[in-house]
Amino acid sequence: MASSTTITQQKKPERSLSPWQIARRKFVRNKLAMISSCFIVLVTLMSVSAPFIAPVLSPLPDISKVNISAMNIEPNGEHLLGTDKSGRDVLTRLFYGGRISLLVGFSATLIVITLGTVVGALAGFFGGFIDSILMRFTDFVLNFPFLVFVIVLNTILYGIVDGLWVLIMVIGALSWGGVARLVRSKVLAEKENEYILAALSIGCSPFKVITKHLLPNVISTIIVQGTLIFATMIVIESALSYLGFGVPQATPSWGNMLSSANEPDVLQGKPWIWMPPAIIITLTILSINFIGEGLKDALNPKSLR
Amino acid sequence: MLKYSIRRLLGMIPMLILISIVVFSLAKLMPGDSLSGEIDPLNTSPEYIAEMREKLGYNDPLPVQYFNWITGFVQGDFGKSTRFQIPVFDLIMEKVPNTLLLGVTALVITYIMAFIMGMYSGRRPYTLGDNAIAGFNYVMLAIPSFVAAVFAIYIFAFQLNWFPFAGSVDILVEEGSFEYYMSRMHHVLLPAIVLGAMSTASYTQFLRNDIIENSRKDFVRTARAKGTPMKKIYNVHILRNSIIPLVTFLGFDFAALIGGAIITETIFTYPGIGQLFLESVTSRDYPTLMALTMLLSFLTLFGNLLADILYGVVDPRIRLD
Repeated sequence: MASSTTITQQKKPERSLSPWQIARRKFVRNKLAMISSCFIVLVTLMSVSAPFIAPVLSPLPDISKVNISAMNIEPNGEHLLGTDKSGRDVLTRLFYGGRISLLVGFSATLIVITLGTVVGALAGFFGGFIDSILMRFTDFVLNFPFLVFVIVLNTILYGIVDGLWVLIMVIGALSWGGVARLVRSKVLAEKENEYILAALSIGCSPFKVITKHLLPNVISTIIVQGTLIFATMIVIESALSYLGFGVPQATPSWGNMLSSANEPDVLQGKPWIWMPPAIIITLTILSINFIGEGLKDALNPKSLR
Repeated sequence: MLKYSIRRLLGMIPMLILISIVVFSLAKLMPGDSLSGEIDPLNTSPEYIAEMREKLGYNDPLPVQYFNWITGFVQGDFGKSTRFQIPVFDLIMEKVPNTLLLGVTALVITYIMAFIMGMYSGRRPYTLGDNAIAGFNYVMLAIPSFVAAVFAIYIFAFQLNWFPFAGSVDILVEEGSFEYYMSRMHHVLLPAIVLGAMSTASYTQFLRNDIIENSRKDFVRTARAKGTPMKKIYNVHILRNSIIPLVTFLGFDFAALIGGAIITETIFTYPGIGQLFLESVTSRDYPTLMALTMLLSFLTLFGNLLADILYGVVDPRIRLD
């Protein structure tokens, strides 16, 4: 250090790193998280560009058509992952399925995070009567047996609204309880600080205090939680679709594709139909979890590196 | 403690009433009459149907209908299944032993696996074995239960032929005989392993961290100073302290097992409560659906309550009042 001081004196004083820059550096150095991020980006790109790359990769790019002449073909040079019992190319369906699974997961996460943050921030900031009302409501939602209610609600709403959005809204509306509790506890701790008192004393409105002063200090927790919820939502979507209560059967999603494993014949003798979706679901969940752990580490100011 | 438990039990009542209103409204929102199992499907004359509707109270105002339903429900009259034409109570009771067997076996498997792995990891932290167990647990935590179930059936039932892939008992064995019980155990083992493995990871990591933490405490140093063998310190002194917090997981597991059972039972076509629930949704068997939803909600509430109470029982430092 001593020898380098002479050099640094001539240079312009460097700006110290912002918290976000520090977090980014820590995250980039985390190998597992970086590999996982690359995988997720790859899966997302493939899903988004499915209509363009499907015709290149397979001779049967149309997933809505049943093709009797090409049923149950084992993987070969032409069909890289084979075809399913309706003669549809498995690889093509995998791409299109990713669109639906990721869309459902992402939209539901957005709903959960928004609802949870709003409820949690309001309850934590105002306290008293509003707090107890909102938290009673949160307890109520948390105490529902989740899967049971999703299935019943989905059956009722099915047919009234487009199937996909029913699913997104129902799983979103029933799973924000955990986030609300988390945000509330963080806000409760944060609002005791003096800068909040200062902001209130110069006449900031509650809305401004929450959005400008409280939420930026809670956002790192919300981001980490959001990542983990994204993984959970993908699992829920595919589990429900697998059971036949999720995305409508005609739309390919990873869960719908996996549900062909319900037939013992397919499960036992034609693993190329159900294994690709099973493997890609597991890898996606694992990657998202690794990214979440990496983010948790990177955004934690106490962790060194 | 007793005061707290009673207060919490009483606090469950408004929650249950709210849930019952929601369940009733949901059932009413679904297409069709929710109690039409009472009407003879072969008699289609409009007069008969109108008469039966009046008799069964479908023309009453909704609050009255709700009141009638909930009064019957509290007294154990769950109505008649529209699908099987037998009382829902009997239908559920017929499936309960299967689900109970599955749940208990899954719990036993969870505890055995968690104890072996957790004690090994806790005794030798940061070694190759510990890291391997942590990695294995991470994968088990991430892999969705239904994917695990599908792979388990493929590998253990079809490729290796170790377990049957469906049902709860062989058809040919005589009920009550020794083979009968062996066959049931044989059928329940694979779904129970899949269901039990879900919560093993969190148990193991908890036990490991607790053992490491306890091994640095003063009573361990005292025991070592007195010349107690390390094996005895770990297996008796430390373990006894580390087991206690694990008990609290039991309550939360209740809720997890219910959700898990629906998926696992369906995949393994294991005739239990979860499978009955999904079948009642697909076949629009409303009385069964309503009764099961209420039952599962109650069990979830009860599980959460159990977790809170156990928390106070095992750690007197936590004040519940």
